[in-house]
Amino acid sequence: MVWMRRLLFVAVLSCGLGVPGSVVGQDEPVSSTCYLDGWGDSLLCYRISVGADANAIELSVTVAPAVNDAGREPLYLLAGGPGQAASDLAPLLNAFRRINRERDIVMVDRRGAGLSAAFRCGFEREMPADLQSFSRQLAQCYLRRPQFAEALSSRQAVEDLERVRKTLGHHRIALWGGSWGTRTALLYQQWYPEALSALVLDAVAPIDTKVFLTATAAERAMQRLERDCARDAICAGFGDWRSELDQLLANWSGERAAQFPDPVTGVRGAQPVPRWVLANSIRTALYDPAAAAQLPYAVHQASRGNYLPLSGISGLFLNTTDSMAMGLTFSVACAEELNRITADEVAADSTGSFLGSAFFDLFYSGCQAWPVSAKPYSAPEERAHPVLLISGEADPITPPDYAERQLVYLSNKQHLIVPGGGHINSGRGCIPDLIARFLNAPQDSLDQGCVAEIRRPPFMVDAFGPALGKGVGVERQGGQR
Amino acid sequence: MAVANIFSGQMAALLRKEFLEAWRDRRALWMAICFSLLFPVLLAGSTIFFVKKHTEETTRLALLGGDSVPVLEQQLRGASLEVDVVAQGEPRALLADGYDLVLQVGEDFVEGYRNFRAPKLYLYVDSSSTSSGRAERHLQERLGSLQQLIVSQRLTARGVAPQLLAPWQLQVRDISTPSSRGALILAMVPGLLILTLFVASLATSVDTSAGERERLSLETLLLQPLPGWQLIVAKTLAVASMGWLGALLAIAALVTLMPLMPLAELGIQQATTVSGVITMGLLLLPLALLVAVVQILLALRSQSFKDAQTQLSILQLAPVTLLMVLDMSRVELGEPFWQLVPLVGQQQWLKGLLVGDTVSLPLVVAGSLVCLMLVGVSVAVGARALRRESLLGAV
Repeated sequence: MVWMRRLLFVAVLSCGLGVPGSVVGQDEPVSSTCYLDGWGDSLLCYRISVGADANAIELSVTVAPAVNDAGREPLYLLAGGPGQAASDLAPLLNAFRRINRERDIVMVDRRGAGLSAAFRCGFEREMPADLQSFSRQLAQCYLRRPQFAEALSSRQAVEDLERVRKTLGHHRIALWGGSWGTRTALLYQQWYPEALSALVLDAVAPIDTKVFLTATAAERAMQRLERDCARDAICAGFGDWRSELDQLLANWSGERAAQFPDPVTGVRGAQPVPRWVLANSIRTALYDPAAAAQLPYAVHQASRGNYLPLSGISGLFLNTTDSMAMGLTFSVACAEELNRITADEVAADSTGSFLGSAFFDLFYSGCQAWPVSAKPYSAPEERAHPVLLISGEADPITPPDYAERQLVYLSNKQHLIVPGGGHINSGRGCIPDLIARFLNAPQDSLDQGCVAEIRRPPFMVDAFGPALGKGVGVERQGGQR
Repeated sequence: MAVANIFSGQMAALLRKEFLEAWRDRRALWMAICFSLLFPVLLAGSTIFFVKKHTEETTRLALLGGDSVPVLEQQLRGASLEVDVVAQGEPRALLADGYDLVLQVGEDFVEGYRNFRAPKLYLYVDSSSTSSGRAERHLQERLGSLQQLIVSQRLTARGVAPQLLAPWQLQVRDISTPSSRGALILAMVPGLLILTLFVASLATSVDTSAGERERLSLETLLLQPLPGWQLIVAKTLAVASMGWLGALLAIAALVTLMPLMPLAELGIQQATTVSGVITMGLLLLPLALLVAVVQILLALRSQSFKDAQTQLSILQLAPVTLLMVLDMSRVELGEPFWQLVPLVGQQQWLKGLLVGDTVSLPLVVAGSLVCLMLVGVSVAVGARALRRESLLGAV
């Protein structure tokens, strides 16, 4: 018995009870358990120091650990804007559950956004309705931290990202970029190609594309909506709602602006809605097909003096400006985009569009108040990483054309185009599955058949919502094909 | 010195005899092996089946009167829901015909919908069918999102931001980890492993005690110039070897089958480590000895072979049932004291090791020592019992 007991002790000690649980070495970063809104499971949070002197901050890095660590490269999520934070992308983890089974998903809030010392300028509390007040508020914001504003750029974001990759000990990483995040991802690919395994780019903003010229893209998205509405028997009943929209915008007056009701309080004229705000809110509705499906009805009603539906649509996007750190937005946009756009290009882009220069003007006047130096990119070099591109056919800011035409330097790419899709489609239909498949076998070409099954939501046809019944007759397969 | 004495000469011969008898009994061996493999296979099978049923199967819905609501049909149709429009039919017959659900749309549904009269939809289910719960969930999901879309459009039409319907956002924060969620599926495993100890050693323990008595070979054994405790120890080791083998086999089978179980799809991490598996095997050894010696004592006390079998069958169920009841009633046994109690201690350690948790080494050692002390006491009691003449008389 004695020998047996001794054997038991020796064996128990040598196999080390209590081995599980991470042993933190000296160089490894310390993490704590944390949560992000939109995702119920616990996450690991790191704070990583970046920058120097007055610009030194602690970067917020959040990791959704793989359910089973199979040793696959982690997927880093890069948020858009510029000015949005990766931590705001946490709800996307629901769609990326399958990817997260075997891969860590890493969310780095870039410097000046979200939990990494967000550079806000107070616009989340109230957005001024005239461009002069907007610029004034922005100028004051700039003067509070001019050095920080100058320090923020895509180059700095990529360097920070690289710092995070090394600190977390990741050999190679895959990147998912959404909207402006695709620009950051494409630049990372240029500057650190050896650290990258694959790219997933949703709503692509290629390096050479002037994405702040949005009027033509918004106009095309509106035309796609017109086409799909015309193919839907009931929506087609609105007739020429598109001309009504042009009329509405052309004849928008101070009197009408004062009649526009507030979507939250219901009060009319509390804050008049000028033409440029109205045009922008219609443009914004095109980002989301569910909101776009309500535009024909809302425009039709507005042309008859009922502004309630249009006001309701603008209410759908009330929370989106909250997440944008405007200081970061202008630091990057003014230094990397606005300075390379000429007046002629603005004129060419806005001619013949419903939006005109309403979107550009906001940034143009903002950049007057935000004097950061120009930070141009060099011409992109050829790259052979596997790249999955995702575009919404009716995206009003990064249309499929951008990904089709401006990425010739990428030799190994596949493009998913979602019919009737708006801005960002990674969570829709079978797209999450296709992304998971792509990441597991990036060299294989994907079977894209299921993408065509993604449909626009049903059009709003009356105060009761969508038509469920036949009525005049509804096209069976939706109108997107 | 003592070790050398114990295992020299007669004791060695005695051990050899006991082990030979125990392991030569093919029926007992097969029973041990079969039971040990049974529950890991059942557990793996049921998990695979459960996940398959919940993730892969699609629901077939008959939309009765659906020809009048093409948009409803289009919006309901999805990856997990197959929709067939049926103009005429009897819901009962359609359910019998292979549909999981029948959704009946009234004739004036469209009219009622357009006039905000909240028309009714009738859902026919057969709740005695195993797929009805899943089917209903699939439909509710699709109907729910369509309903949300319609409500949102109706609010927009009236100039109301839909967020007015949500005075707050409830954010759920789950404190479980992917490894601790394994406890959901693996909760029964410690109890079943302990049960395996009992079942696998049952036949051998009855045979070596009550069996030998009925075959009259126990008397011969008692005539040998051997102290009684050595006799009990030899029998205990032989019986425990069988029980322990069963438990080890069950652990091995479980660990082998785990990768086949689609645990990741349930958000569960396979956290059992190699060292954890070895530890599980080792910590069951003192318990195997205790179970063996208690079984032998009870069988010796019994009136007959049959009586021994009955008593031991009850013995194997009682503690395991107790453990399961304790586990299910969520009685807090967090106090370290509880880990010194045989069975309870082992159950807690196994539970921890299965989900990759840390287990306190001093408590495991202390708990195992308590177990071994009880083995010692039982051996002493057994040795005394062997001196009673009435022992042989019981037939």
